[in-house]
Amino acid sequence: MNGNATVRALLSLSARLAGYGSALFLAAMMLITVADVTLRALFNLPITGAYDLVQLFLVGNVFLSIPDVFLRNENIVIDFVDHIFGRGAVAVLKALANLAALAFLAVLSWRMVPPALDAMRFGEVSPDLAIPMAVHWALMIAGIVLALPPAAFLLVESVRIFVPNREAR
Amino acid sequence: MSPQMVGIVGFAVMVALIFLRIPVAIALGLVGTIGYAVLNGWTQSLLVLSRVPLTFASAYDLSVVPLFVLMGVIAAHSGMAKELFQSINVMFSGRRGTLATATVGACAALGAISGSSVAMVATMSHVAVPEMRRAGYDERLALGAVVAGGTLGILIPPSVMLIFYGLTAVQSIPKLFAAGFVPGLLLAALQIGVVKVATWLAPHWAPVSPRAPWRERLKAAAGMWKLLFIFLLSIGGIYAGWFSPTEAAAVGTFATIVVAALSGQMSLMQLVASIVESSRTTAMLFFILLGAIMFSYFIVQTQIATNLATWVVSLHLPPTAVMIVVVFFYIVLGSFLESLTMVLITVPVFAPLAQGLGYDLIWFGVLLVVLIEVGLIHPPMGMNLFVLQSQLPDARLGRMYVGSAMFLAANAVLIALLLAFPDLALWLPRILY
Repeated sequence: MNGNATVRALLSLSARLAGYGSALFLAAMMLITVADVTLRALFNLPITGAYDLVQLFLVGNVFLSIPDVFLRNENIVIDFVDHIFGRGAVAVLKALANLAALAFLAVLSWRMVPPALDAMRFGEVSPDLAIPMAVHWALMIAGIVLALPPAAFLLVESVRIFVPNREAR
Repeated sequence: MSPQMVGIVGFAVMVALIFLRIPVAIALGLVGTIGYAVLNGWTQSLLVLSRVPLTFASAYDLSVVPLFVLMGVIAAHSGMAKELFQSINVMFSGRRGTLATATVGACAALGAISGSSVAMVATMSHVAVPEMRRAGYDERLALGAVVAGGTLGILIPPSVMLIFYGLTAVQSIPKLFAAGFVPGLLLAALQIGVVKVATWLAPHWAPVSPRAPWRERLKAAAGMWKLLFIFLLSIGGIYAGWFSPTEAAAVGTFATIVVAALSGQMSLMQLVASIVESSRTTAMLFFILLGAIMFSYFIVQTQIATNLATWVVSLHLPPTAVMIVVVFFYIVLGSFLESLTMVLITVPVFAPLAQGLGYDLIWFGVLLVVLIEVGLIHPPMGMNLFVLQSQLPDARLGRMYVGSAMFLAANAVLIALLLAFPDLALWLPRILY
């Protein structure tokens, strides 16, 4: 296995694991809501803090799947120009798009740290179950930070085609 | 530079970046952040950006999206689409073009438990097109029926697009669902009308199917109980006052899983794969939403939307004339932009305009979704055309274009009816609320 394939395999493993975590959060979101509705309807016993849990699970579900979305290159892109520009120009645009994506993720993850630390410092909690908001922040930051390596990998892949292949020469 | 000019430049740059292949979420986020910084400084802009992800941690209503996405994915993966198609085919047997009618009918019925157009086209392309090809249908009719029928999923509740519109325009999701119901059924009827007219003008496009006895038809109708049960429990539960939209989505999804499992149509591995796929779809949608929230913060600062609304109202033009211009704008935009992007970038600007002209925003949401449907099917860039081509690589694009263009007539009639009779959309929500 060459270096490139090894990196992809490692990234794929981490993105897949995060994706399974995300799926668990979605399943939990559904089950807690169904349990809440059922208990409320049958025994007038709603689950205290179901709202808090659903909000936490939503954060986990959304952010932990972002790395897999990046690795699979599933972000929505309008590829209208592919029919207008030549292959070389499209390759340049793809590389620029990957650079923009990496830059945005980097800025976002960098800027998310201070409010996360504030939430921890000031002991911010959810309204019903007093779940520390730092947990929400941790899930959000984990998702964005884990998306950085796939975004960097895509950038390297898209730039690599411009570098002359030494072996071919 | 005035804030309005910054807004106009920002809007143009954002559209340019999207056309230059920058992912939609990134284009929205970058322009939103930079534009906000131009108006209020970098410190303020980065502070706002850092807080945007927290929106997802405090918006319980957003949880309705992944749950309805999951419900649709499970319905698509569990073979319900095939069952529906076969049932409706038997029910309408004995007529010319029954398979095309069954395609539209199955899409409408499946739309009652699935809110995604792309998933619907992907599913129906494998269920309906091979059957129509075997029966000797003209490719134009067969492909057009799938491409157009697939759009019904985003109008008939539950609809992911109506949810995003509701969240963006701050409108009630149950009211939007109710408003989409009658136009959704009407569009299905109009699409069946297109099939009828096409087969009347060109009878060789579709053979007459053998007539099934009434007993068999009734049996086929009874076979649709699963869908009816899930729809009545989930969407019916909202209007019966049993559930909030999120609860309805969770209960509906759970019921779909139970029904699919009890019918032996879904293994544990398929269920896991469905949940993983839904999570990825949700992440992709919400990442765009994250960028769109930042972009809308910027647009609000520029006051473009309110100024545009004030300016248009000051022209004292007939509201219908303005709305017709808006309709054409969306049709042009739909040729290039993906549907969710269209909702997220235009609603903050056009919703205040529609409101300023005296239109109900629930009605505007339904009109917007019908216009998005046009964008999904009209050549050359309709997303559903690409989805169908990716599913059926042997389908010829030219035939697909002709087929989808025929069905645009149904959307055109519905848009005209909605403009002339807004009560088509507003009648049901008024009765229910």
